[in-house]
Amino acid sequence: MDAIVGLAENKYTRLVLVSLLFLSLQTTIFNEMRPFNVCLQVMLLLAASCGLAKGSSTGAVAGFIVGLLYDFVLTTPLGLCAAVFALVAYFAGFAHSFVHESTWWSRSLVASAASAAGMIVLPIAFTVTGAEGVLTLHIFTVAIVVSLFNAAFSVPVEILCRWALKDPAPVR
Amino acid sequence: MAGSSFTRRRAILLLTLTSVLLITLDLRGSSVVNGARSAFGSIFRPIESATRVVTRPVQNAWNGITNYNDVVDENRRLRDLVAYGQGANIAAIATVREAQELLALNGLPTLAGISSCTAQVVGQSPSNFSQTVEINRGSECGIKVGMPVLNAAGMIGKVTNVYNKRAVVMLLTDPGYSLSVKVVNTPPTTTTTTVPGSPSTSSTTTTTTTTTTVPRTTTTTIKGFTPGSTLPVTTSSLAPGVTAPPGTAGPNQPGQNTNTQITVPPGADLPLRETGALEGRGLSKNPVVRFIENTPRFGAISVGSPIISAGGATSLAPPDIVIGTVSKVVKRTGTLGPILEVKLSANLNSLNFVRVLLYQPITERPAEP
Repeated sequence: MDAIVGLAENKYTRLVLVSLLFLSLQTTIFNEMRPFNVCLQVMLLLAASCGLAKGSSTGAVAGFIVGLLYDFVLTTPLGLCAAVFALVAYFAGFAHSFVHESTWWSRSLVASAASAAGMIVLPIAFTVTGAEGVLTLHIFTVAIVVSLFNAAFSVPVEILCRWALKDPAPVR
Repeated sequence: MAGSSFTRRRAILLLTLTSVLLITLDLRGSSVVNGARSAFGSIFRPIESATRVVTRPVQNAWNGITNYNDVVDENRRLRDLVAYGQGANIAAIATVREAQELLALNGLPTLAGISSCTAQVVGQSPSNFSQTVEINRGSECGIKVGMPVLNAAGMIGKVTNVYNKRAVVMLLTDPGYSLSVKVVNTPPTTTTTTVPGSPSTSSTTTTTTTTTTVPRTTTTTIKGFTPGSTLPVTTSSLAPGVTAPPGTAGPNQPGQNTNTQITVPPGADLPLRETGALEGRGLSKNPVVRFIENTPRFGAISVGSPIISAGGATSLAPPDIVIGTVSKVVKRTGTLGPILEVKLSANLNSLNFVRVLLYQPITERPAEP
């Protein structure tokens, strides 16, 4: 029983549960709503927000977990999105560490830049692993639309990530 | 601080190595990875279904806002198409039946002899870089990797992943898709039909003359048969109550003088076929057909020529499945054949019910004991 409670209190367990929720949104509503023929990437938003919320190291691990869950529903090689999302989360945390006085808009800006970078790196990674025809000019449209969307929703998602990844309170 | 940096480097190294390991395992077709994906699908499916139910009103609202005008236009267009299709359907059914009878008579494989499994599309790829859909039938229905998938309009793709109660279908537009196809080209012919006789003629005999002009010269020694040339066809109608004597019907009766002209479709009028490879190019571009030979016999390919699957011992699809029509011909210099852009007959943006043909090429079938 203690083991189950301990597992439930683990920050990465909470992250997995939140990621499953986001993944279900990704494969349903955000799969249907495609502004400018672009599939919005809430899983990428979650990864970038993890980096913003808990810094580059924890963010990279969290981004890896988020990406790995996303890999399970894609037909691309398992581990590819995990690597890219870990990179995005690390970049978001690392870039934000240079901000002297962080504000909501600076966080949104970093989330937006990290998302855009992720949507450029992802097709490059696909190409490296043998996929053809994904490196087209359309990726810039995808990057712009996804980055704008992720900038708009980065603040609430970051709060969610901060809650999910908070360390357990010390036992007295 | 140094310890923190060391931990960070170690974590990043570990993540990188894990990613490389997973990618390698997956690319080598590891059964562990496939099993993990299948297990995750089983766990995730109920969560996704619940979310789909909850978010459906939002999706409907979004579709109502963004697609209302398109739906109205499409509805109007579809009404016209239904009216047109109802007439064409009757003729098509008769033609298909005749074709199937002919194929069966000659011992050739037909689509009617292949078992199939009907499934519904339940989702599409949430990625911007791959074109796949998911269907709600899997290995329990006999579906295997590679099997062709069609809808009412024609081919839509092939199965790439199979689980117990679901399967992933790679669409024709996916850059990873490739299939051997045939392009059916019809040579240019001029047909003139004249029906002599004025309304004042009271004769009961009607004569129809068909003149077919084909740009080539053929010499034959068969008496009374000149393929590709002017072939007068005479049809005489008998008076009511008069029947033809037995043994006189038909052109070639035993012991009969064969001076009468035989009506045989000239070879040049039959549609010519050339094989090529269909390749997907992503959602925003039409697929193309490559490796079409630039042969004079085949002639210039015209826009609108039908494209069907080629079949063969190693092809994953049986022959003669409709894929689409040629929408653009890109000519190339020298002996290189043209590249053909294909307008797919199936609308891949609105897939609902599909049919998986439980077909495997001869080379893939298990050896019979």
